[in-house]
Amino acid sequence: MGGDGMSNGGVKCGVPHCSLCNEPAVLCQRHLDLHLCKAHFIADMELRVTNTIKTRQMIAPGDCITVALSGGKDSTALLLLLHRLLPLWEDVRLVAITIDEGISGYREETMHSAEHLTDSLGIEHHCLSFSGLFGHSLDTLLAGRESQACTICGILRKKALAVGARQAGGTKLATGHNLDDESQSVLMNIFRNDLPRLVRNSGVDSSGKFITRIKPLSLISEKEIATYLILNNAWNELPECPYTHYAMRREVRSMLSDFEYKHPGTMFNLIKSKEKIERCKKESVVSESLRSCNECGDPCSGDLCQICRLRQTFG
Amino acid sequence: MKLILSEKDVRILDHPPAPVEQILLEQGINPLEVIVSRNGKVIPEDTIIAADEEVRIIRIAHGG
Repeated sequence: MGGDGMSNGGVKCGVPHCSLCNEPAVLCQRHLDLHLCKAHFIADMELRVTNTIKTRQMIAPGDCITVALSGGKDSTALLLLLHRLLPLWEDVRLVAITIDEGISGYREETMHSAEHLTDSLGIEHHCLSFSGLFGHSLDTLLAGRESQACTICGILRKKALAVGARQAGGTKLATGHNLDDESQSVLMNIFRNDLPRLVRNSGVDSSGKFITRIKPLSLISEKEIATYLILNNAWNELPECPYTHYAMRREVRSMLSDFEYKHPGTMFNLIKSKEKIERCKKESVVSESLRSCNECGDPCSGDLCQICRLRQTFG
Repeated sequence: MKLILSEKDVRILDHPPAPVEQILLEQGINPLEVIVSRNGKVIPEDTIIAADEEVRIIRIAHGG
């Protein structure tokens, strides 16, 4: 590694140089043994996101991309990146949607962060709340069943985002899921023996019943996203959701992160394995046919959609 | 060497010059779960930190 620095006790103390120029590096892509400076890192990340969008045909001319903006780091980076990259596509507009789940002491800060970001970028912003859509805040709904927080919140948020996207005239729904999230989901679905969910790809829907979901950051690591935000002066130290310590994902995240550190490329390989399974899946074994919910008519895989099943459990 | 993890968590170490990565591991921190900065500038994990230097460690919260 090259690097400038001062001498300290006979040891050279400095920052490694960028592998592509002589500037100080900000990050090392360990699986490639590549050091990148601020300018090259930002350019590399924007190029990789552009390639993901183009390769997977995530955006088409005339699209209205509704961005699920929680105000946290991933969705903030997603909105910033899409705002910058938008001129690459003709006649495409962005709308941000924020869902207030009603999590006391946590959501206020991220809601404020989302509003500040959309104001500064001049992006249309719609806010919906669990209270408005479902009659109660998440805190109220979870009383006595906190251990199910992420499952219940996930089901309701998915519905809320679909409603928000439809109201905003969206043709696609973009979420900030990153490489860490996606690889964790692969492992969690395997741990739960949930093969249909493992191979379910909401980005491909020939029925037209779902809004197409896109994940432009799915090959970008959490650390790269945080670095991108810091380098663009868009980093906010925000609190972590108080319900995360109930989540299985938290354990998987820690385990997978340790594994990625010891074996660089593990997360990427998990995604590649999932894609291979998707390509060779046998319909009768792992796929679920699309049906309509007996209660509300929404598309689902069983007799009832997840929302109506949840309603039954609440009496 | 001074490690600032938060306002309430500042660690003073009697440590010879060493790579950021080694220092983090010794503190039980996975280098993939933090960003490290020195003098306000983000630095990679193989940067050598001098015995009298101060670095800030930013934890990457999940979610968002």
